[in-house]
Amino acid sequence: MKRILVAASIAAAVLLAACGGTSTATSTPSTGGGGRVVPTPPAASLTGAGATFPKPFYDAAVYAYHQKFNQVTVNYGGGGSGAGIAQLTKNVVDFGASDVPLKASEAAAMGGADKVIQMASTLGTESLAFNLDSVADGQLKLTPDTIAGIFLGKITKWNDPALATDNSGVSLPNQDIRVVHRSDGSGTTYIFTDYLSSVSAAWKAKTGGPGKSISWPVGDGASGNAGVATRITQTPGAIGYVELAYVLQTKMKQAALKNQDGSFVIPSAAGATAAAKQFIGSSPSQFSIVNAPGKDSAPISGYSWIILYKDQTADKTKGTALVDFLYWLTTTEGQQYAVNLHYAALPPGMVSYDVFVLRDVTAGGSALLSVSS
Amino acid sequence: MGPGTAERVAPPPLVAASRQRRLISGDGIFRALAYAAAALMLVIAVIFVIALVIPALPAVTSFGLGFFTSRTWDPVRNQFGALSAIYGTLVTSLIGLLIAFPIGLAAALFLAQESGVRLLRGPLSFAIELLAGIPSVVIGLWAFFILTPLMRDTVDPFLNHTLGFLPLFQGSPSGYGYLTAGLVLAIMVLPIMIALSRDVIRAVPRALREASLALGATNAETIWSVILPYARVGITGAVLLALGRALGETIAVTMVIGNRNEISTSLFASGYTLPSVIANEFTEAVGNVYLGSLFYLGLVLVLITIVVNVLARLLVWRFTGSEPTAAA
Repeated sequence: MKRILVAASIAAAVLLAACGGTSTATSTPSTGGGGRVVPTPPAASLTGAGATFPKPFYDAAVYAYHQKFNQVTVNYGGGGSGAGIAQLTKNVVDFGASDVPLKASEAAAMGGADKVIQMASTLGTESLAFNLDSVADGQLKLTPDTIAGIFLGKITKWNDPALATDNSGVSLPNQDIRVVHRSDGSGTTYIFTDYLSSVSAAWKAKTGGPGKSISWPVGDGASGNAGVATRITQTPGAIGYVELAYVLQTKMKQAALKNQDGSFVIPSAAGATAAAKQFIGSSPSQFSIVNAPGKDSAPISGYSWIILYKDQTADKTKGTALVDFLYWLTTTEGQQYAVNLHYAALPPGMVSYDVFVLRDVTAGGSALLSVSS
Repeated sequence: MGPGTAERVAPPPLVAASRQRRLISGDGIFRALAYAAAALMLVIAVIFVIALVIPALPAVTSFGLGFFTSRTWDPVRNQFGALSAIYGTLVTSLIGLLIAFPIGLAAALFLAQESGVRLLRGPLSFAIELLAGIPSVVIGLWAFFILTPLMRDTVDPFLNHTLGFLPLFQGSPSGYGYLTAGLVLAIMVLPIMIALSRDVIRAVPRALREASLALGATNAETIWSVILPYARVGITGAVLLALGRALGETIAVTMVIGNRNEISTSLFASGYTLPSVIANEFTEAVGNVYLGSLFYLGLVLVLITIVVNVLARLLVWRFTGSEPTAAA
């Protein structure tokens, strides 16, 4: 994938040189899959860095965008949300990606919150995957209380009475619960601890609230979603929070989770969208969508964000290509690559928000997004 | 390879006087280059330490020496301490050495001996080189998938059953933790132990060995009272190098240590090591104090390595009055 991108960027550079750098910035717009008019971007090579959770989606989308518009190459390096924010602050990359919007101090380092825009790129949900021979996929039922109990280290055996009351008819073994969590800082951890903090006062008091890395009361750490997933499959009695995509890909068993409305849901992309729809005014300052009401809502869900500078005067062509690419990413055509990979499509309200803020990106005082709708 | 090596390079014999002149000036250039290279090492070392200290300053000023005694590692509340990681690093390295030392020494003695199973020596030496060449991530992968289930289902329960009266072997094993990490380290340092000890033992003068045997000492007595005392300095050097490798080993340990910021007496329990914390957390360490704490951990690791080296050298000096030569 990377090699393809590198080769493509070389090809684009050659093409650009051949044209004497006079490639036109605008041509006939094409129609996106969702009926939206997708602007044709100028030739540019864009770089981004940050969160690893949406990376599979970005990689697939970037590849498709390059197939569609040969003149644009996007290289998304991953590296973690912290690295993405740091590199954007130093202007090393054109956009950063983070599973959690900027903190005030981080925005200040970029010149203030009014100097950047933050748009949601995709939506994900998390499962609690477990490894128990005697319990089938989806059979284990967990409530906010039992999840908090397990991750606080208060429920230590699988046959604990607290678990048994929700799971009549399930043969829970007399076995140690082995909690697995992320050892690296991650947005996945942030969303999960955000959930625990919102359902359990005891959890919040003990750990101090949500964070990308926290001091865990119990359990072992493993690196990355894949690391946690592997660790759970390797360890009898293990339980841990994993991105839905990894659970489905590795065919792990996951628990049904009791949401705020009291119904047990198996986490799914549709459940994430249902949860997101419950929060009409979601924005970078109101980004938490965990423990959502609604009977279909998957309780441990969250957005992933892309951050860029509003003022792109330094390189107008690049800025235009960036805005065009991000606009395409939020259309149905771009979002389908998220859906294919078990991320959830952005709800319409969030798409409108994204387009709204993209219009704030300017070069020399004029907006770069050329679509009118 | 110091600058001294350059001086000892002899000119080829039978050269004409004019060419010899040119060679001498070539020698001068080479000497200058060698000195420059040596100086560069010093500069790099200094820059390295400075580059480690400066980013660590926010954490050093926040926590001071309390960093060494605090077990807290709480990114949410911005409170950091290194004690759990220091403990884990020392315990796993100690386990690794305790296992590797007797095996390594015995294997080295076997490989260094003159007579007997000569046929086995070649393949065995090759196997050791091979083991030394395996990248640590591959060993980690093997340990994660093969060793941990074995430890969980067989080795740990056996130890618990037979030695469970000791606090070291109590608790329910998950397959991950100090003991497994120590075992992985033992595997990783064995090649260094064996190869260096073998060379040191081979360097024991033949006359000493033969004299001992001629006086009627058995093979075992010769090893115990002639070879080992003579090779002691070099073997200490081998142990030091092995310890250095064990202290800093990162990826393989990270895969099996469990990555839990806690201190437990049970070797079955999960823990953390200094390199593992750094490797796990640097990508998302946002904020000066958090990132500074990771650099502080790096500083602690360098410090431990230096202290271990100095202690061992002092030990060697006390015994022999000379610096370790063969390996250190």
